[in-house]
Amino acid sequence: MNTKPHFDFLRQFFNSYECPVIEESSHHLKVQLTSQMDEEIMNRPFYWHYMKKMNRPGDPMRLTFTHTDHAQDGGIFLHAGTPKLHTIYQTAMEKGKTARLYEVIQQPIQNGALTPWLVINLLLHYRGKQTKDEPLSFGLNLIHGTLIKGMMECLDGHDFDRKVSDYCFPMTPVINLKSAYSRIEKFVENYTTTLDDSWIKDSLHQLEEEKSLLDSFYASEDIGLDQFTQEREQLDTRYRPRFSIEVINGGIFYMSQQTSQHLLMKKQP
Amino acid sequence: MIEIQKDQSFIQTLTNHLDHPDKLTNWDGFKLAYQAATFTTIPQFDGLLALDHLPHVDFLEHQVDAANKVVHQMNGRAILADEVGLGKTLEAGLILKEYMIRGIAKKILILTPASLVNQWVQELNEKFYIQAASPRKKQAAWKDWDVTVTSIDMAKRELHREEILSIPYDLIIIDEAHKLKNHQTKNYQFVQSLKKTYCLLLTATPIQNKLSDLFNLISILKPGYLGNLTDFKKKYQTHAKNNGNIEHIHSLVGKMMIRNRRKDTGLDASKREVVNERLTFTEEEAALYQELETLKRNHPSFTWLTLAKELCSSREACYMSLKQMKSNAESESENIYDYFIEKIGQLPHHVKAKRMAEIIEQSGEKFIVFTEYRATQFYLQWYLQQHGISSVPFSGKFNKSKRDWMKQLFKNKAQVMIATEAGGEGINLQFCHQMINYDLPWNPMRLEQRIGRIHRFGQEKNVKIYNFAIENTIEDHIMKMLYEKIEIFKNAVGDLDLILEQIPGGSFDQQVQSIMSQSESQGEIEIKMNNLVSYVEYSINERRESS
Repeated sequence: MNTKPHFDFLRQFFNSYECPVIEESSHHLKVQLTSQMDEEIMNRPFYWHYMKKMNRPGDPMRLTFTHTDHAQDGGIFLHAGTPKLHTIYQTAMEKGKTARLYEVIQQPIQNGALTPWLVINLLLHYRGKQTKDEPLSFGLNLIHGTLIKGMMECLDGHDFDRKVSDYCFPMTPVINLKSAYSRIEKFVENYTTTLDDSWIKDSLHQLEEEKSLLDSFYASEDIGLDQFTQEREQLDTRYRPRFSIEVINGGIFYMSQQTSQHLLMKKQP
Repeated sequence: MIEIQKDQSFIQTLTNHLDHPDKLTNWDGFKLAYQAATFTTIPQFDGLLALDHLPHVDFLEHQVDAANKVVHQMNGRAILADEVGLGKTLEAGLILKEYMIRGIAKKILILTPASLVNQWVQELNEKFYIQAASPRKKQAAWKDWDVTVTSIDMAKRELHREEILSIPYDLIIIDEAHKLKNHQTKNYQFVQSLKKTYCLLLTATPIQNKLSDLFNLISILKPGYLGNLTDFKKKYQTHAKNNGNIEHIHSLVGKMMIRNRRKDTGLDASKREVVNERLTFTEEEAALYQELETLKRNHPSFTWLTLAKELCSSREACYMSLKQMKSNAESESENIYDYFIEKIGQLPHHVKAKRMAEIIEQSGEKFIVFTEYRATQFYLQWYLQQHGISSVPFSGKFNKSKRDWMKQLFKNKAQVMIATEAGGEGINLQFCHQMINYDLPWNPMRLEQRIGRIHRFGQEKNVKIYNFAIENTIEDHIMKMLYEKIEIFKNAVGDLDLILEQIPGGSFDQQVQSIMSQSESQGEIEIKMNNLVSYVEYSINERRESS
């Protein structure tokens, strides 16, 4: 089983949140947590509550992750289902929910105006007889409203900072955030109509079939009205095909004219 | 146009956060969040993601197939009816995990016999990384707990009932669901009125007596699927002999039920080796056994039956009954009991106990010993201790924590566990692969349950079973008649339970008991037992041919 992506993720995660890696080998990874990170992922609120009350710094833990099940030194066996990994995913998503970032410009450029973009990453959930979801990433130019799909991939290789680089200034958005966001929603709505709809048909078919079974059972007085209504609702939850949109994260990204142009060239939708 | 549920809150959050820069993240944090989200997505409709999440559990092929089928073909409502010991719990756990990963099951309720609650909680935690809660006495936070394990009896109490019924559960799992076969019981009605999206019923015996049992189970899952009850009865019950109808219903039910059999799963890798040990009473013991027969003349027949059976087990068991009988008897007839008590006191150690200690000492491995009597249980514990063999007692009457503790002790410290009959259900002891049936139960199904404690999914070694019986006693009859003829050990019993329950004129136990107590002579016992056995054989063969 390939556990490399999980290790890569953890390494990046701990790096970004200033938890130093203290040991690393081909079979394990050991990190020193900061107090803040310990509080967030180690689930020991009483300890930290106590430490704060006592005005003491506390002793943040060290975590060891290993590649295998052989718990030689009590490490956490890291794989797709490791509970700690999922806690960390949750923390990463909570901490990285919103942003306002400016492209890092190393050398002074001719035109220092930075174009604002709304970047929205979302999950499109498909729910019916079966379920799945699809991550989608969008960027909407807040000056003239051009929409780009696969935004995160496009931004790969660019660097952003919370501060504006020297000799640059952000432009004020023309389109406000709410209407920019609803344009993205509209786009997703349209997108759903272009998809293969066999799963929708399957689900509806199943729903109708089971509804009629239930109707006949009710007609023969084998169940009461309450039971019948309840079962009807349950069938609906189980089979009625629907989508839902869940935003992972989003923010305003200011980019140089050059980068903006570049993105527009790659424009996908 | 298909409904699209939108994310209403995000853009508001973003607007707020833009005014509070400390809530905003940097580029790395932003990328990490997106990455984390893509790691947790469900890329496709098909398949079991749970398998990647649980690399430390070795699921068997039939378990994975079952989970796959339930999730993707049966749409999450099904009866899991594998034979005993094939890992129904693991299948249910796998399905549960899959639904949790797919994000469509958050509120989950697991109803199981009280004795299995701890085991479920433990397995969910260790094997599936699922934290489950179970209510104790008055502490119950049904609304706050996402995954709850409890017994039906607890759940339907006045105190909890309303609250539980008000919660829309995403998934409900009911273990030992054959207890819901009657739709007029409170339990059945309670389960039927639970709010549930997905539902799994676990049972090794989906049909206990009649086809309508199955009708009622299916009605929980898919009301109307088998038509209505009146028509169903007309169609199937009155013409139960008509095989065409039965086949029809089998094919219908097949879409709602998964039933793996031992012989199809390769679980036979672990074989059973059965040794029937015929022991001989010492002269004193044999003489006393003979003397007991004199009781037959002027006492109710069960008096002799009880005492004879007990004498075959231990002096102590017999003594306890004698004492009991004496205290109930009138003063002039007390003498006879005193006489026997006196005689019993003079007997040497029991032959079975000696043999048992011998076997255990020779092998040096872990053993589970089953007896029918508590007095025997105490005696054996003492006897083993005298031989320097450590042992723990086990009984179904122990409370939850004591059971768990005894099991732990047996696993880590003691060499032998001595269990009474009531301990048969609800403990798994795969780490042990040798069993001594110190006395044999009169119902072969109960023996099957005993064996099921060690010969089950997860057992890696061959299982060795010793059955004790004493020559020329009723035990000998039981062994010869029941166990050797029915060949119970060769084919793990699938349909036998059904047949045994269907014998006309009372259950199997009752039959044996009345044969034993009402017969005048050895010959009569043998003839009657032969009849009973051939009836069972006949039913088995008939069933085999039809399937």
